Amino acid sequence: MTSKTEGRFPDPHEFEVPAELEGWEEMYPSHQLFSGDREEWEKNQFWFQDKIHAPEAIPPLDHIFQEAWQISLSQYTTRVFCIPPAQGIAQRMVGCYLYICAIAPPPDEVQGAKAERFGARVFPVFQNYDELWEKWLVKFKALGKEMDELKIPTELPEFISEEEVLPAPKGYYVSYDIIEGFDRLVNMMFKGWQYHFEMLNLSYLAYLMFVDVARGLFPGISESSIGKMVAGANVAMFRPEEELCQLARKAFSQNSVADILKGDGSANEKIEQLENLKDGKNWLEHFNNVKSPWFYVSCGSGWYHHEGSWITNLDIPFGYIKSYLEQLDNGETIERSLDKIEKERDEIVAEYRALIKTDEDKKTFEDTYNNIRSIYRYAEDHLFWVEHWFHTIWYAKVREFGQLLVNCDMLDEVDDIFMFNRYEIPELLTEVSTGWALGVDIPMRSEHYKATVAKRRKILEAAKKWNPQPALGIPPEEVAEPFTVMLWGITTDRVQDWLKGVDAVAGADVSEIKGFASSAGSAEGPAKVLKLLKDIVDVQPGDILVCASTNPSWAPIFTKIKAAVTDIGGLTSHAAIVCREYGIPSVTGTGIATSAIKTGDTIRVDGDTGEVTIVERAA
Amino acid sequence: MKHVIDFKYVDKGSLNSVGGKNASLGEMIKAGIRVPHGFAVTTDAYLNFITATGIIDNIYGALVHMDPEDIKALDQVSEKIRSLIVKTAMPVETQKAIEEGYGELSKEYHDRNIPVAVRSSATAEDLPTASFAGQQDTYLWTIGIAQVMVNVKRCWASLFTSRAISYRIKNDFSHEDVLISVGIQKMVSAKTSGVMFTLDPTNGDLSKIVIEGSWGFGETVVGGYVNPDKFIVDKVTKEINERTISQKHIQCVYDSGKDEVVHIDVDEEMQLERCLIDDEVQELVRIAKIIEDHYGSPQDIEWSIDKDIPFPENLFIVQSRPETVWSQKKSMPILGGKSSYQIMMDRGSKRIKI
Repeated sequence: MTSKTEGRFPDPHEFEVPAELEGWEEMYPSHQLFSGDREEWEKNQFWFQDKIHAPEAIPPLDHIFQEAWQISLSQYTTRVFCIPPAQGIAQRMVGCYLYICAIAPPPDEVQGAKAERFGARVFPVFQNYDELWEKWLVKFKALGKEMDELKIPTELPEFISEEEVLPAPKGYYVSYDIIEGFDRLVNMMFKGWQYHFEMLNLSYLAYLMFVDVARGLFPGISESSIGKMVAGANVAMFRPEEELCQLARKAFSQNSVADILKGDGSANEKIEQLENLKDGKNWLEHFNNVKSPWFYVSCGSGWYHHEGSWITNLDIPFGYIKSYLEQLDNGETIERSLDKIEKERDEIVAEYRALIKTDEDKKTFEDTYNNIRSIYRYAEDHLFWVEHWFHTIWYAKVREFGQLLVNCDMLDEVDDIFMFNRYEIPELLTEVSTGWALGVDIPMRSEHYKATVAKRRKILEAAKKWNPQPALGIPPEEVAEPFTVMLWGITTDRVQDWLKGVDAVAGADVSEIKGFASSAGSAEGPAKVLKLLKDIVDVQPGDILVCASTNPSWAPIFTKIKAAVTDIGGLTSHAAIVCREYGIPSVTGTGIATSAIKTGDTIRVDGDTGEVTIVERAA
Repeated sequence: MKHVIDFKYVDKGSLNSVGGKNASLGEMIKAGIRVPHGFAVTTDAYLNFITATGIIDNIYGALVHMDPEDIKALDQVSEKIRSLIVKTAMPVETQKAIEEGYGELSKEYHDRNIPVAVRSSATAEDLPTASFAGQQDTYLWTIGIAQVMVNVKRCWASLFTSRAISYRIKNDFSHEDVLISVGIQKMVSAKTSGVMFTLDPTNGDLSKIVIEGSWGFGETVVGGYVNPDKFIVDKVTKEINERTISQKHIQCVYDSGKDEVVHIDVDEEMQLERCLIDDEVQELVRIAKIIEDHYGSPQDIEWSIDKDIPFPENLFIVQSRPETVWSQKKSMPILGGKSSYQIMMDRGSKRIKI
């Protein structure tokens, strides 16, 4: 039932998951499972594993982001901005992993009805992007603030306080606050994700329009050349790294501070030492001033609670500062020169523009380029505010509920709350409220919940060891949905490679891997295959990073590595963008790099052609 | 009257006296491009040759009322004129000038008889409006003054091949107006040679540099005897967009035993080996851009890489001429003057095949 396919992947309804994963279905909402009543439709779609948003097995509560984006991404395409041929992206869970599919275009009459609206609704966004962005940021920050200010009781009082009863009873109490609080928290998450896609689909559309123009004028122009014209340097996603650089610079000018920061102790030990120094206090003040919002950055992608974020895991930013200080000691530059990057980009654009022969074409180029220059930064800006800042707040709030459940002895650990999905948690909270309301010595179903946590943790552990199929179902003749191509890096060729590659990798005998030529140049060196986030500290200068996909908070290691290779990600994936900025070669969206390449293998990365060659296997 | 003139003293203003190819070599030297050294035998020397020896009347007399469609008559007349030129002795002062020029060139390269390429360079060739390319002769690996003299005359004679005659008649060039110069240039001991265009010759795209190359002398590429390796490079970002490595069966090399340039089989293991590494491609691109900027128009360039000199000093440009096909076309808007709104509608309504 596995890889013997003739131009197709395993049937999603016959596909089996390992026995150790038994019971995985209970962890997710049932509308997200392949089901008999939808079999006819489901088996005719092409489902591929979403390694961008869900490279790892998904804990039940973390699944909320997936549910939220399925609705939001899809609605903007189908019903808000009405992109005529595009439908939404559907999701299904298989053994703790997320599979997604771009739904086939709607009938012609629907496409026609959408076309009228499309023209009228989309263009104004392109024209007024800067103003719309200002508004977006205001409302998004307000939403995050509202979430941050949500009061969640982590203890239940023996008796309700006087003030809530006299002179007039308040009318509703902590038993209700708990239930409402979680509902509001979930609602805010969904709302945040509605905002997330407000202009994202359109920023990709603008990119594709510019690609059409560039390809028309300069046939065969590479994606990475187009990327060089489009890349925005001064975007929010780079701010955390810039703030770290500044902190490192500040410490570098004060030996006593630098010495502490270069030490081997934990972040907390260093903070303690700094507090005893005048300069140290001063430095800490600077650190605390920029911490919010700029260090509300996930240590990973923001999609998993266990990744932690810089503010909850200060060892990470302190580790980066330490390595920046070491670089400064060696006389190296740690900052990206924004001016230089922008100047280079403008020169490239000017050179292409000068090669256009007619005034008509120059104008079309100019117009579409101006569109993309303004709106494309959304692709990077929204990422910081939603996946990093907003998610960091979310995790903190969820953990307050976790603390409440631990305090009520419903769970053993705060993070156990993530083992329940968003539909189940209200049940736990309702039972807590009920038990409190009923009085004293009320038996609770703690054992049941704790057993569920233990079982689910085992399932997730087993799922981590399992390497699921890259895709299920029938591959389409042509992959054209913009998100699928650009973000996930799934193309017709890639699907064909998967069909071949699945077998080949099982034989572990692949020496040539193909992906997107995302950042030009070539490099040869030792591969460092990053399977777990924590291994990031092992990356050595000169390594070639091989990973499922990269994350913005990894920025500081891009000054160390020689090249990057990812399993998943198109030309606008994070790895592609960052590698272009740092001028290091990268091949993204190979599908199989992390399984075909082993740490220590010598590999060659050709960012011009998208080829990765295993030159020599590690002994 | 100057019979010969060093490439160093030649530029685009010298077209009438040294022909297009030679003038262009001088221009490139001025632009700082590495060109093998050499000198031109002037058009004056040629004109002096046909007038002083009196063969001028026989030549132009034979061409009166020539019918360009009458292949047989054309061939006969061509043969007659060319053998007349080759048999007639050169004036002594011209001989002396060429001898001196060749002697100095040999001395410069510390050789008694330096191998040279002897090439014709006509005054009407290589103009953007009249591609005479390939209509005159080239003699590679010419060694010794006697052979140089013979090949100079052969080049003069090449002005009267059947093709050249009929081309001039059909395109309304007067035979008398087109003169010929000869370039005598140090031979590059070529490992790899080829051509490059500063636009994509398949579609006129100005953002590309297209390089074609093969083993040995460039004749196999120019003459179409091999499928060359092909590299398409983005002129702006210098990214190599395409590398097509072909099976290169034969190469053109100098056979010292036979003392001639021969076509031989390429060693089997070299046939599929790429003839240019990326560094060489990038150096060619760098030079191509300088040449194009210097002339201010798209160029068709011949290059050679010497096997006896280290990179990058071994990379020589042996010729550059204006690209004639696309440069003459009137530029039409490729995108049909569409606004970005229309581009958006096109993209948004693109029917997706399933």
